Amino acid sequence: MSTGVLPARAAARHARPRLHPLRGAVPTAVLLLGAVYCLFPVTWVLIAATKTPGELFSTATLAIGSGLWSNIADLLAYRDGVFLLWLGNTVLYAGVGATLSAAVSALAGYALAKYRFPGRNLVFNLLIGGILVPAVVLAIPQYLLLSKAGLADTYWSVLLPQILSPYGIYLARIYAAAAVPDALVEAARIDGAGHGQIFFRVALPLMTPGLVTVFLFQFTAIWNNFLLPFIMLGDDRAFPLTVGLYTLLAAGANQPSLYNLILTGAMLSIIPLVALFLTMQRYWRTDLSRGAVKS
Amino acid sequence: MRTRRFSALAAALLTVVLAAGCSGSGSGSPENATGTAPAQSGPVKLTYWTWVPNMDKIVQKWNAANPDIQVTVSKQAGGDDAAAKFLTAAKAGNPPDLIQAEYQHLPSFVAAEAVADIAAQANQVRSEFSEGLWNLVTLGTDGVYGIPQDSGPMMLFYRADLFDKYGIEVPKTWDEYAEAARTVRKKDPKVYLGTFSSKDPGSFAGLAQQAGAQWWSISGDAWKVTVNDAATLKVAGYWGDLVREGVIDDMPYFTPEWNKALNDGTLLTWPSAVWAPGVLEANAPKAKGKWAVAPLPQWTAGENVSGFWGGSSTAVAAASPHKEQAVRFATWLNTDPEALELLVKEGAIYPAATKGQSVLTEAPGYFAQQKDFWQLANQVAATARGFTFGPNVNVTYDAFKNAFDKAVEAKSSFADAVNAMQEATVADMKKSGFQLAQ
Amino acid sequence: MTGTKRSGARVARAGAAPYLFLAPAVVLFVLFMALPIGYTIYLSLRRTQVSGLGLGRGSRREVFAGLDNYAAAIGDAELWLGWLRVLGYGALVLTVMLGLALIFALMLDTAHVRLARFSRIAIFLPYAVPGVAATLLWGFLYLPSLSPFQGLLELFDGEANLLGAGTVVYSMANVAVWGGVGFNMLVLYTTLRAVPREYYEAARIDGATELQIALRVKIPLLTPAIILTTVFSLIATVQVFTEPTALRPLTNTIGSTWSPLMKVYRDAFVAGDLYSAAATAIVIAGIALVLSFGFLRIVKNRAFGEG
Repeated sequence: MSTGVLPARAAARHARPRLHPLRGAVPTAVLLLGAVYCLFPVTWVLIAATKTPGELFSTATLAIGSGLWSNIADLLAYRDGVFLLWLGNTVLYAGVGATLSAAVSALAGYALAKYRFPGRNLVFNLLIGGILVPAVVLAIPQYLLLSKAGLADTYWSVLLPQILSPYGIYLARIYAAAAVPDALVEAARIDGAGHGQIFFRVALPLMTPGLVTVFLFQFTAIWNNFLLPFIMLGDDRAFPLTVGLYTLLAAGANQPSLYNLILTGAMLSIIPLVALFLTMQRYWRTDLSRGAVKS
Repeated sequence: MRTRRFSALAAALLTVVLAAGCSGSGSGSPENATGTAPAQSGPVKLTYWTWVPNMDKIVQKWNAANPDIQVTVSKQAGGDDAAAKFLTAAKAGNPPDLIQAEYQHLPSFVAAEAVADIAAQANQVRSEFSEGLWNLVTLGTDGVYGIPQDSGPMMLFYRADLFDKYGIEVPKTWDEYAEAARTVRKKDPKVYLGTFSSKDPGSFAGLAQQAGAQWWSISGDAWKVTVNDAATLKVAGYWGDLVREGVIDDMPYFTPEWNKALNDGTLLTWPSAVWAPGVLEANAPKAKGKWAVAPLPQWTAGENVSGFWGGSSTAVAAASPHKEQAVRFATWLNTDPEALELLVKEGAIYPAATKGQSVLTEAPGYFAQQKDFWQLANQVAATARGFTFGPNVNVTYDAFKNAFDKAVEAKSSFADAVNAMQEATVADMKKSGFQLAQ
Repeated sequence: MTGTKRSGARVARAGAAPYLFLAPAVVLFVLFMALPIGYTIYLSLRRTQVSGLGLGRGSRREVFAGLDNYAAAIGDAELWLGWLRVLGYGALVLTVMLGLALIFALMLDTAHVRLARFSRIAIFLPYAVPGVAATLLWGFLYLPSLSPFQGLLELFDGEANLLGAGTVVYSMANVAVWGGVGFNMLVLYTTLRAVPREYYEAARIDGATELQIALRVKIPLLTPAIILTTVFSLIATVQVFTEPTALRPLTNTIGSTWSPLMKVYRDAFVAGDLYSAAATAIVIAGIALVLSFGFLRIVKNRAFGEG
């Protein structure tokens, strides 16, 4: 995977013979079928969010309703605009959590990729082993322990447990190994730079695109997490969107579920993520196994 | 040198962690346990977990009038989730001061020592409630574990317009209901008179109460569990036969599909509780004015009894440092005329306090044509009978869902499902060590 | 992995630096993973002991239970039935999801594909939808009276019900496939993009078709990535919880102990028995560990060609 292949690759592209115009029709058709399959339910949410409560269960599933604006207005007016508060909380949890997660992953990934030291494999395996433990299992003891530290039912209780991302560390290690040449590190060292300086001035800029990916994955994971904040938080003003919308769904045995508000809320809560997907397209890369491919 | 410094750092960290891990054990400190507020300046602050709509507005009234006791509402997901969350919070040592506790969850809260015995203060308002409701918050003991807030006496809700269309009389007995179910199927095979929900143990418990069931009782120092008593088996057998015969649907309540059936007129009745108008209005707004209400069909002609589905109380957490103030608020909320009026108008609940029922004069908008809605409801409420709930209702209710799901799916015996509930309940109580009477 | 080999020379000079870099991650690991896991193990060795009615003060005590909870978890027939159900479901999800992801990735990487950017983003989009929301969404689409597919299905079978006893597992698997296919596709696709093009040119010059190149060149190159995505998906499948839990209110065919993790949730939150739940949770994590390491062991020599 040396840089030498690039001219060869470019040349190969030019040399490719022009073929029949229908060539590529099969893959294009297969991919479009896949796209339709993946977009269909999302389209349905968009449509359902336009329906008034009366229309939701009485008009054809794919018929557009007349209540989009009234649904949004109802949702924004619900309990003095608590929806916007939930949205703000979610942005805070996901934004701060994912930033810290990317930072912690960058430090750990760099150390694991660029240093050899006693205990390296043990630390790596332990950190990665974290994905074996289901979140449902961790949430309760985390809650009991954070309660003892007096942090339950605070913003911290949702932020702190979501900073460590085994997956993020795994990715950061691969990015550091692939993007930071040893020679560059060595050169900086010869120039007299300290470990910290090398990391911040040399490694970090090179790792940034990969870290954006780590950030994006963790942002999505925190944005969509339900169980942890559900268990941690009692104060409804600290809820993220997932838990807030759930209080509309499980409104109590003798209260109706506010389906039209839930669907509108679900639609609105997906929009920021979709925007993030579209604008940051080039960062959604996950060459998980790059380090494992033998070159 | 460096390694030494590192291990010192690690040791320091470990100390911090361990200290954090241990400091919590003192959370049940003596002054908390006795319920007297520690000396402090400024108003007492109480947190209140509830899912009653617009509770914020009701609490605003209290806060304005009581500057020294300020209550903050935190709206939660309702039902079983709220109960599980409260128990976890109580175990962790940081529950809210006040909690909306459904009657069936109260015994498990008491068993977990999560709610306080407030008998000393609460007995003063005993006369505000009917004997049956008060028993639900005392569990038949000398203690009082909550102030009743709302109740759900059961009635039969039906589509008056479609009853006319199919030429059906309002059934007075369950036999007549079964006949009507068959008639409807003959007239229009797309339409069902009713549905049996395997997801709503509360509804089944209410129907069993009407038939005279007693699932739990206390004899001396032991629990007696009789979920599969004769009355319950009768109710289960009745619905099981109708479902197997195919004249009653088996679609669960509160699903999108059920909403649709309410809207398009393919479901004609709903044996439900007094809070049903709110649910119907939200889910089937177009059928407004078409639904009517009657007493539940009876097991014996001429009888006049009902059961309860739902209903909750306001309980005070055992760990609250301000129990006295919390009880004062809970008492105000559930017995003060002004609060009751707000609960009815803003919270859309059917108040437990007897005098609260006089606030209910104008029929709910959805039932505007039925002028006697509340008179009827109050009559039914007076004839509804409940039963003592046991300390592990959650297990019983979970067993109900699993067993009845299977019975409905396989069209197998509903009596077996009831027996499975009994077995699961007893096994769970034995495992924990509860004393059981034979 | 690559890039670390020559760093060995620096050991002597590295000193505390790597440990300091790792410190935040290790501290977080200790606080939010190791301690909670340790606490779970502690809880799994205990149980509550109630005396009498269990209503008075002090009538409920926490006592040491030894390995009783583990014995109960391992001896619980319902838990093993749960494993069997998850096994069938997992086989379905893993093959379909990874199969589709592989096909999509290979298609994206072919020479003359059109609208690839649009398709790639569209297929990845479900990743933005939280699991609970995705399940509710599909749930609406499955319900016979609301489903836009129902008319179509009834052409084949008048009694068709996507939430019936025989079909619900496929409906559930579909939700997982829908949510996960895009992510796995992206992993495989990025790996493919990193492969130098001359790998394929040689094959092309030898007259191989695109299909042959895909089968004989690309898939072998992708094998390590496929193994990793399989391990990640395997772990996620062992922990299946969201889909059955969110679909359960809509159908009579999913019990509260359908999957092992649902049983943990049921024991902890519904039955209020944290102790049994803790023991079952440890058993689940253990099985996930054995499965993923077992799988890695089987494929390791072949795929990585190293010890």
